[in-house]
Amino acid sequence: MNTRFGAATLLAALGAPLAISAGVALQAGFNSAAWLALGGHPQTLSALGMSLWTGLTATALAVAGAAFLLSRSFGQVHWPQGVRLLAPLLAVPHAAFAIGLVFLLAPSGWFLRALSPWATGLDAPPPWPTTQDPWGLGLIAVLVFKEIPFLLWAAATQLQRAEVAQRWTRELQLARSQGYSAPRAWWCVVWPQLWPRLRWPLLAVLAYSLTVVDMALVIGPTSPPTLAVLAWQWLLDPDPAVNAQGACAAWVLTAVLALTVGVVGWIWQVPQQTFWRTRWTQGARGRPGVSKKLGVAGFCALLGVYGLVMLALVVGSVAGLWPFPLLLPEALSLQAWASVWGSLPTLGTTISLALASAATALIWSVAWLECAPPAWDQRLRPFLYLPLVLPPVLWVVGVHGLALSLGVDARWTGLWLAHTLAAVPYVLIALSPAYLGFEARHQQVCASLGHGHAVFLWRVKWPLLRAALSAGFAIGFAVSVAQYLPTLFVGSGRLNTVTTEAVTLAAGAQRSLTSAYALLQWALPLLIWAWAARCGRARRF
Amino acid sequence: MSLRIHLSQLTSPTAMLLQSLDLDISGGVIHTVMGPSGSGKSSLLAAICGTLAPDLVFKGDIHLNGKPLLALPTEQRGVGILFQDDLLFAHMTVFENLLFAVPAGPKPERKAAVMQGLIDLDLASWAHADPATLSGGQRARVALMRALLAQPQALLLDEPFSKFDATLRARLRTFVFELVKKRHIPVLLVTHDAADIADPAHLTQLAHA
Repeated sequence: MNTRFGAATLLAALGAPLAISAGVALQAGFNSAAWLALGGHPQTLSALGMSLWTGLTATALAVAGAAFLLSRSFGQVHWPQGVRLLAPLLAVPHAAFAIGLVFLLAPSGWFLRALSPWATGLDAPPPWPTTQDPWGLGLIAVLVFKEIPFLLWAAATQLQRAEVAQRWTRELQLARSQGYSAPRAWWCVVWPQLWPRLRWPLLAVLAYSLTVVDMALVIGPTSPPTLAVLAWQWLLDPDPAVNAQGACAAWVLTAVLALTVGVVGWIWQVPQQTFWRTRWTQGARGRPGVSKKLGVAGFCALLGVYGLVMLALVVGSVAGLWPFPLLLPEALSLQAWASVWGSLPTLGTTISLALASAATALIWSVAWLECAPPAWDQRLRPFLYLPLVLPPVLWVVGVHGLALSLGVDARWTGLWLAHTLAAVPYVLIALSPAYLGFEARHQQVCASLGHGHAVFLWRVKWPLLRAALSAGFAIGFAVSVAQYLPTLFVGSGRLNTVTTEAVTLAAGAQRSLTSAYALLQWALPLLIWAWAARCGRARRF
Repeated sequence: MSLRIHLSQLTSPTAMLLQSLDLDISGGVIHTVMGPSGSGKSSLLAAICGTLAPDLVFKGDIHLNGKPLLALPTEQRGVGILFQDDLLFAHMTVFENLLFAVPAGPKPERKAAVMQGLIDLDLASWAHADPATLSGGQRARVALMRALLAQPQALLLDEPFSKFDATLRARLRTFVFELVKKRHIPVLLVTHDAADIADPAHLTQLAHA
């Protein structure tokens, strides 16, 4: 009874703002004039096509890349090391990665500098669309490189559950003892069991890829832009009629997302009865060989890309005069960092928001996982994941409306609320496998020794779940730092974070200042991930 | 057919697990290895199967029908294994679990092999059932049939009966021993229960490391 009351209270505390935000967002779609204007706009269809092309391609490639790395790595010697290295990659905010990749790929970027003039014959940056290309390839590349680590991490959280890891490892051994190569055993035995457990992270990747705004602003195409960027532009317009058009465009994205999820789900389910089952049992054993080396190479390639992006940001942040095609700047300058130092309030806002919203999200998630009856949790999870699956441009309409109704618009409290609502789904996804898979018999043992529930939680359960709890906090922190649209709208330009500064600067020509803010975007979550890794280490005896 | 194991040492970073063990198991023989927990039984099986943990070191050699195994990956050794848990794949029906084990070949022949296996198990009516709906004893029998359908040249049994009560255990033991003897392959059974000994003449006792 107490736990149900607790769960109901938690639900009300989070559910009310979620419901209000969803309601405001829903209401924004009831404007027939706006729908007509949207339908009649010359860029609507092409922008939608661009969103579908970049979103679906990026998701498919990210899933394929993650699955390939898993097939070559799970159960191998390098797997634990690879999983540990995912944390710093996850800490990189999407916008920071996009900014860094732009500095590598731009006509005056590092790749062309490295090849000029000896290979290209160029002595000036060429007018090539290597970033913000009209085909959306730059956006696809950034999305793929960002989502592969997320999917690997989501898979690892499942594979870290002791009973699952041990069982699947043995199943793999068993399949290999029957002549199946390691990758073939993975595809036939483990992947079909892992895939359904990844549906929420996969949905998050699809939703993000179809509806991202900040990355698309930095590296996405401009003619046409994606529909999410178009919606964002309309939502910022001073004309309320154009704002309404933007809200309707956000609803189109939501409908497209729902349809896409339905089609993908159907494609997976229907042939599963025939096509996949035939593939699993056709008897072909696969080729033994270099699978382990490919897994190592894949991880190295991923780390290499991230390393290059980080290096580009570091060098860019201290670059003074840097004529093309010199590989390194002619002069170094700390002017950008001096400027960042002068914006301490921005840094303070970023850190305070991230700490507060991560802590709130973690406390709420732990309380929910403790109190909520399993049936409630199962039924209400889709509702709790709303901020994850609704397009950010639609969600931000709702959150902004919520902040206005509570009178916390342009205030730190309003931003804290918006960031917390965004962080909770990610923290829940991170925490749930370990928390719900916790050995129930520990509590029985504790009770048989005369200890109550509070002692059990404080001295047994939470210490044993230290790694998962600290990782959950780190994820909430990273999500908060990366919030662009909610900060822009709810902050109303009066409160800025390093992310809003970085994305705004990326549109201009101040490479060093943009790099400095992007590096800060990266460094803050990285520090927290390092703390979380240290915190989560097993006790040494 | 024969499985020959010459082990001089099996070590972990902190301890000697096993040393000086020589086994020569002929086809049709079930050799039992007994020992308390921690005596290295499962590690011995892992070494034969090719799934030894990276931090353990096996010194010696293993030959199956004259072929050295140590340099071969697991899938090329032709050694089947049956664990304590049945490990039937949850995403496949009983039929598909068995079909998975049958080597590649013409589909009708593969399906016929599976159906014959199910008939031998008296489980033909459960072909398209979810493995989770079978009893523990039924699952254990399906797991054994799956191991045998892969046509291994040797079979390792890692305490396959320890989960069951005495009555079911005895029935399963009889069933397993009869089935593997018919295949005339060398079998290594690891257990800590004396009742599982197939033949006292083929018994090795391990001391605690």
